[in-house]
Amino acid sequence: MRLSDKAGLRQRRIVHGFLIILSFSLMFLGKADLTALHNLRMAGSEFLAPIVDTVSAPIRGIETMIEGVRTVASLRAENVRVQAENDLLKRWRRRAEILESENRQLRSVTGAATVENRIPITARAVTAPGGSFAHTVLISIGAGKGVVRGNPVVTADGLVGIVIDVGVKHARVLMISDINSRIPVILASSSWPGLTVGQNGPFLELQFLPGEAKPKIGELVLTSGHGGVLPNGLPVGRVDKIEGDKIRVSPAVDFRQLSYVSVLVGGLDGIDNSDLDLGNFYTPLPVTGSTRLLKGLNSSGKRR
Amino acid sequence: MKDQRSYFEKADFHSDFPLQFLAAAFGLMLVLIELGLAHWPIFHGAAPNLSLVFIYYVMIYHSKLLPIFSIFLIGIFGDFLFSDLLGGRASALMLLAYVIQYRISRLQQSDFGELWLDFSISFTLISLFQLVLFMLINMAIPSLNPILFQIGVTLLLLPFGFLMMFAFHSLLQKMKVV
Repeated sequence: MRLSDKAGLRQRRIVHGFLIILSFSLMFLGKADLTALHNLRMAGSEFLAPIVDTVSAPIRGIETMIEGVRTVASLRAENVRVQAENDLLKRWRRRAEILESENRQLRSVTGAATVENRIPITARAVTAPGGSFAHTVLISIGAGKGVVRGNPVVTADGLVGIVIDVGVKHARVLMISDINSRIPVILASSSWPGLTVGQNGPFLELQFLPGEAKPKIGELVLTSGHGGVLPNGLPVGRVDKIEGDKIRVSPAVDFRQLSYVSVLVGGLDGIDNSDLDLGNFYTPLPVTGSTRLLKGLNSSGKRR
Repeated sequence: MKDQRSYFEKADFHSDFPLQFLAAAFGLMLVLIELGLAHWPIFHGAAPNLSLVFIYYVMIYHSKLLPIFSIFLIGIFGDFLFSDLLGGRASALMLLAYVIQYRISRLQQSDFGELWLDFSISFTLISLFQLVLFMLINMAIPSLNPILFQIGVTLLLLPFGFLMMFAFHSLLQKMKVV
């Protein structure tokens, strides 16, 4: 081996070693939640979003075409099903009107919890989660429309996730199915509080339920509003399977069909955003001398 | 006096850099296509790893076209777009490249069946490496089904990917001959 070859080999080894060390360092720096890295990541996403959108367009087109063919094939059956569903919905609507009126009367008596007034802004999902290790989506609105970190993202079916990074025209949403996602919830029928934890898969896990709680299969799981980041009453999913201590929840939103979402802007007044800026979603309870956390609920979650 | 054009021709046509640049650009494009495929309901949360198939093929048959820096770039780009652990995919791909370099003469003489098996083992090890890193850093075990699905789909797509790249390569060869 010539001397110049040896020097070249040594130089290559140094570069390779440097790249490996850089990769590992990036992993730990990424986990350290540095603001500069967050900003860099979001600036990069913002720059790449139009390119990703352009490249994805033909692929989405193929999917739409396949979906179109499938829809035409099942149109007749679909029509019968929709008519039956429409009849059922009409009956439900009448029932809902009655219940709404009853609910209004009860609220005036008990002062029950109400959802804060937030403005929904529609956005398009630019990306979809493609990796097995992170469930996030990039959406087409950002700080320019008033989106801030911590804003909930929903569809008509329920909660999708929370905004974690905001650029000028785009924002990144941590979906409730991500393993780092923790959503304070209550069981709709029994009102027991708990936390849904993402599994990076199609289902969530319901944890930290009190021992006395007896969830039922099919029971609705709603956001509890504890912590103040999310409004209460947003559908998260339904109890799908119970195996001993493990309670599996099927999300209310079909994430595979996510095209458009609504970001609920506002309603974060009084939340300590400095914690959100550090990427820490723990929000300390407001110390106001009063034990009332939500309108109509005391600190132990009981109705007043 | 010597004709000066011959020096310029040599400089223009013997450099690997333009081809390396094209290979890296194609790798990055494949990452974007992966992200596009994630829009299909079937690939939600587990898009096939097309860039890995490409890296595997090029590393075996045209290793000069893909220097380690290009592999690092493709990996980081993937981490960035999929919002994965920054550097996780990049380091896994670079380690795979080293393993391929080490066994390159044996892989070049293997038939397709053996290559398929080798790719299966390599991809499983890469996923396992990423899984271990993820578990160490997040202190949590993610759902294994999407990872297994991703491995399965990528393995099914390997013959198609190889066929496409062989076809593309022979087309380029023919154009060169003409």
